Amino acid sequence: MRLAFILGEIGSGLRRNLSMVVSVILVTFVSLTFVGAAGMLQLQINQMKGYWYDKVQVAIFLCSDGSTAAGCAGGPVTPEQQESIKTLLQSPAVAQYINDFQFESKDEAYKHFKDQFSNSPIVDSVTPDQLPASFRINMKDPQKYQIISETFSSQPGVETVIDQRQLLERLFSAMNAASLVAVSIAGVMIVCAILLIATTIRLSAFSRRRETGIMRLVGASKTVIQLPFILEGVIAAVIGAALASGTLWAVAHFFLGEYLSKQYPDTAFISPGQTLILAPALLILGGSLAGLSSLLTLRRYLRV
Amino acid sequence: MIRFENVTKVYDQNVRPALDDVSLEIDRGEFAFLVGASGSGKSTFLRLVLKEDRATSGAVYVAGQNVAKISSWRVPRLRRGIGVVFQDFRLLPQKNVFANVAFAMQVIGKSRSVIRDTVPEVLKTVGLEGKEHRMPHELSGGEQQRVAIARAVVNRPGILLADEPTGNLDPTTSMGIMGVLDKINQNGTTVVMATHDDDIVNEMRKRVVELKNGVVIRDEAKALYTSMIPIVGQSRRLKDASGREDPPPSPEDQGLHPGEEQR
Repeated sequence: MRLAFILGEIGSGLRRNLSMVVSVILVTFVSLTFVGAAGMLQLQINQMKGYWYDKVQVAIFLCSDGSTAAGCAGGPVTPEQQESIKTLLQSPAVAQYINDFQFESKDEAYKHFKDQFSNSPIVDSVTPDQLPASFRINMKDPQKYQIISETFSSQPGVETVIDQRQLLERLFSAMNAASLVAVSIAGVMIVCAILLIATTIRLSAFSRRRETGIMRLVGASKTVIQLPFILEGVIAAVIGAALASGTLWAVAHFFLGEYLSKQYPDTAFISPGQTLILAPALLILGGSLAGLSSLLTLRRYLRV
Repeated sequence: MIRFENVTKVYDQNVRPALDDVSLEIDRGEFAFLVGASGSGKSTFLRLVLKEDRATSGAVYVAGQNVAKISSWRVPRLRRGIGVVFQDFRLLPQKNVFANVAFAMQVIGKSRSVIRDTVPEVLKTVGLEGKEHRMPHELSGGEQQRVAIARAVVNRPGILLADEPTGNLDPTTSMGIMGVLDKINQNGTTVVMATHDDDIVNEMRKRVVELKNGVVIRDEAKALYTSMIPIVGQSRRLKDASGREDPPPSPEDQGLHPGEEQR
């Protein structure tokens, strides 16, 4: 009975304050979309880092069947060439610059590739044969990349030497800057949302002061009096958060999945499903912000 | 049922207290009028009983409990034991008669079936049978006040506080309302009524507590509105001639119309 009563109160409150409720929904929607966008950029960065990013700096790719580089004129790398590269890596002249190195076979490369590109259609058309084997090197001082590059580029069987980290780092710093901008905009919008929720609850409490006055007199508990107002704010904010989650999913599905991944098939993009891990966070963030600001407002404007 | 022990209430340090060292006891099942001019402390008295305000000094006991010692989350329980009626009815305009009364039961979590059984019964007590589905604006002032009384007593409180319940009503309607309050009182509810309405007080012949500037200046059983001139009916003439909110007539005024009896 009391539950039905509270739900009825919430319904009438939402109806009576419809325009304010809609604006709360929209403001939380926009602000949480920005929060979510920042989260998506971070997810994307993680996706692009792939398996090796945090472990090594420099990759020596070995020649494979389809290699067209000048150093690969002699066809795919032979076991002897591979062995001599390995020996060179272990020689004191080189070893002084590196912490350690690992060999990634074609099969391992395929496995890591599959993990990273699991959302991309490209994964179906790639076989282990097409992927080069490589030595992955963890440098003592990443700045000394040139030395490794000069030493190994001319070695037979080496297709290319890449400082992957340096390439990606420029991109990542741009993406980090973008997510910082998104978070700042989100911060301003969240302040807006909190103030708007407070105003809405205040209006709502004012327009129902007769009811709440009578409720006090007949001895309704604080919970019964306040809960409808708090839930009103929380419901509006949660609807906004749900819209924001839906928008992020749509961006991941239609923009990243359908458009960008076709334009840049060699880039690993996050899947729409991954954006859904942001949804609970957004819902909780929206709901708790609304609940908190409603509670503080009621403490000032609704006597119980 | 209600006991004031040396209660003083000061709203503003620079002004005289609203209640000044008031000691008073109203027993269970009693019917008491609280009379006095505006600002004499009647409303403050009622507010202290409801714990809307806190006494500056002294103790207020309601149903044996010192209200100052009731923690804030238990105040609703105190208020469930007290019904309140106001001069301006305070009905919810968008709810019909039944819903207005049921509201008081809904908010404290009574079940639908209890509400369905109790509300018609209470409406019958206040004389509103068959008007369950009227809206407040379709009712006369007297009927609206009856709805308000029904709402105040539907949860069977031990105490009914009425703050000038007949202040907006004509004399005949007022007497009807008094009949309802009397009936409720006879069912065992303690009734405390603050009023300016001398006719009603004189008619009812109940206990009268008169306040002046926050001090109890008179407390008589089966008394009249004014104790000085115990002639029934004088005051009505004066009031009819000069409006409702007049202060009690002075002895000279009454002397101008000796022997003019209204009833």
